[in-house]
Amino acid sequence: MSQPREASKPSYTLNCRMAHEAAALERLCQVVRIRGFRISRMNMESAGGHLDIALTLEGSRPISMLQSQLEKLHTVASVDLELGDRVQSCSA
Amino acid sequence: MNGAQHILEAFHRHNISTVFGYPGGCIMPLYDALVDDVGVEHVLCRHEQACALAADGYARASGKLGVCIATSGPGATNLITGVANAHRDSIPMLVITGQVPSGLIGTDAFQETDVLGMALGIVKHSYLIDNADELPAILEEAMELAEGGRPGPVWIDIPKDILLTEVAQAATPTEQKPARAQTDITDALAMLRSAKKPLLYSGGGVSLAHAETAFREFAEASGMPGVVTLKGIGNAGKHNPNDLGMLGMHGSRAANKAVDECDLLFVVGARLDDRATGKLDGFAPNARMIHIDADAAEINKLRPADTALRGDLNSILEAFTKALKDAPLKIGDWQTLCKTWCTTGGFHTADNEEALAPITGPAFIRQMSRITPDDTIIACDVGQHQMWVAQHYHFDHPRHHLTSGGLGTMGFGMPAAIGAQFADRSSTVINVTGDGSFMMNAQELATIRRYNLPVKLIVLDNQCLGMVRQQQELFYNNRESQINLDDNPDFVAMARAFDIPALHIERTDQIRRGIETLLAYDGPMLLHVSISREENVWPIVKPGGSNKDMIDEPRRTNANKEQVA
Ligand SMILES: Cc1ncc(C[n+]2csc(CCOP(=O)(O)OP(=O)(O)O)c2C)c(N)n1
Ligand SMILES: [Mg+2]
Repeated sequence: MSQPREASKPSYTLNCRMAHEAAALERLCQVVRIRGFRISRMNMESAGGHLDIALTLEGSRPISMLQSQLEKLHTVASVDLELGDRVQSCSA
Repeated sequence: MNGAQHILEAFHRHNISTVFGYPGGCIMPLYDALVDDVGVEHVLCRHEQACALAADGYARASGKLGVCIATSGPGATNLITGVANAHRDSIPMLVITGQVPSGLIGTDAFQETDVLGMALGIVKHSYLIDNADELPAILEEAMELAEGGRPGPVWIDIPKDILLTEVAQAATPTEQKPARAQTDITDALAMLRSAKKPLLYSGGGVSLAHAETAFREFAEASGMPGVVTLKGIGNAGKHNPNDLGMLGMHGSRAANKAVDECDLLFVVGARLDDRATGKLDGFAPNARMIHIDADAAEINKLRPADTALRGDLNSILEAFTKALKDAPLKIGDWQTLCKTWCTTGGFHTADNEEALAPITGPAFIRQMSRITPDDTIIACDVGQHQMWVAQHYHFDHPRHHLTSGGLGTMGFGMPAAIGAQFADRSSTVINVTGDGSFMMNAQELATIRRYNLPVKLIVLDNQCLGMVRQQQELFYNNRESQINLDDNPDFVAMARAFDIPALHIERTDQIRRGIETLLAYDGPMLLHVSISREENVWPIVKPGGSNKDMIDEPRRTNANKEQVA
């Protein structure tokens, strides 16, 4: 039986680098949620003192708004938006 | 030196002389260290919410860091509203809580709550310390973070064992993220010069950036008509002839009209909050926008800016002022038009001259504004009385108006007034509150008494939750629901029970005398003012509606339509 399809929302991939602190992931996910995005895929690797987190997100709001909110987090070092084969980079 | 002693030593080194707190099990090592410390005054409030709100009021009035302290569990959860309040209004605050000992975290220990998790959405940053040697560096970083860039609360949760552990002395300075700045004014200046009807729109960011003087000089040099948000009240000073006052839901018709008509919005330290803009679709429909803010995330958040400048408001505004002094704007016709609107669509209502007439909120506040000294600090609560203060009291400085803008926290006023009086021992500090809000932190009468603070309390008592009643009347077919407070306690007797003298007034001819008595008294005093239950705050924009569709007081509607057409 086929499932009813949800109206699809734009999808984005953000690559975040952040300090490996106690609440790192929760902090990131909390901002993603409250700013109106849903995480559809997430990959995390810990290297040295930091975490590299790749987020695939869906949401109808402008992704730049989320990007600038994530960059504000004290422990976030950079947030890069993948645009097809390009990357829009922003060091926080 | 153990962790607790180190915290007090760091306070001392950073000239933090006053902190607000409440003790309990897991924070006891810090309270033990306080017994020996002489450099820090600890103010014991009677509820942790009040500790946080007092620290907030202290920070607002002084421009310095506010500090509050509580124990784990219920102490920390009680802080939450006050910390959220500071977060929403970008108030620099350091929050310190004790946590259960490290080994017990995650075992559902007595008075354990997940403070780090709980507070994520209401802090600028937060820490749970798991290594005593990190405490010094984290403390330094937290203080710097709370005050730097766009300020906000930073919370450090410290397990009890770490408070008792010896810590290494030297705090390694931490690396701060460089703020991204964009301060070249060339494009913005060209846009400003090409505008025929530019409007200055300023908010709380001006005083947060300590840019009051730079702003005032800029406002004068530009001659732009100006509107302010609730938190921007006082930015332009009392005597700027081009100030149109507050815009938005309870703003003046003149301010909203100017926004509607302008061809350029020059936004300084404001975030285009929905209470100010109304429905964004219809907001400033003909205007381009220059947006200046310390926080890059505010730019383009709700409305795209045509030009944006990010960074220190002082240097940005100074650059504009210099350019405008050399070649002023030619906007005489626009200034004249705005002044006409201000005369006909400002917050002017005639005072009732009848001596025996019941007191109205606006009349009381106008009288207060005339009598009180220029450096009076007013800490408001939330409701109709808060809006009457915003509309009818003339503030000369934004730090004189303490109001819970973003969160709208009933119960803010009295603790905030306490904090403000600690920050400024010589100024008159008045808490203007409602009968509903007063009861939210009434226990703080004990704090006022204990420290013999000369805080003046004015309860505008309409025997109801007036702001809710008003919206039920206007937008819910007058179906009153759970707003009745006609069984309020006797506020005068209540104050006296805390050994605070109190008076009651109810007639127009008693207003002046009542306020003068309050001001003349050398100590705390409460003035209980009975006001009409039916009085509304006018004008009003329906929540979610467009500012263009302001609703005026019915008896003034026709006259206003003719005047501000
Ligand atoms: C803590 C809290 N609870 C509820 C509200 C919702 N609220 C906003 S104004 C208001 C009524 C305030 O009543 P009062 O203090 O008597 O002021 P008035 O409007 O009558 O002047 C209420 C309940 C709030 N802002 N804060
Ligand atoms: Mg009331």
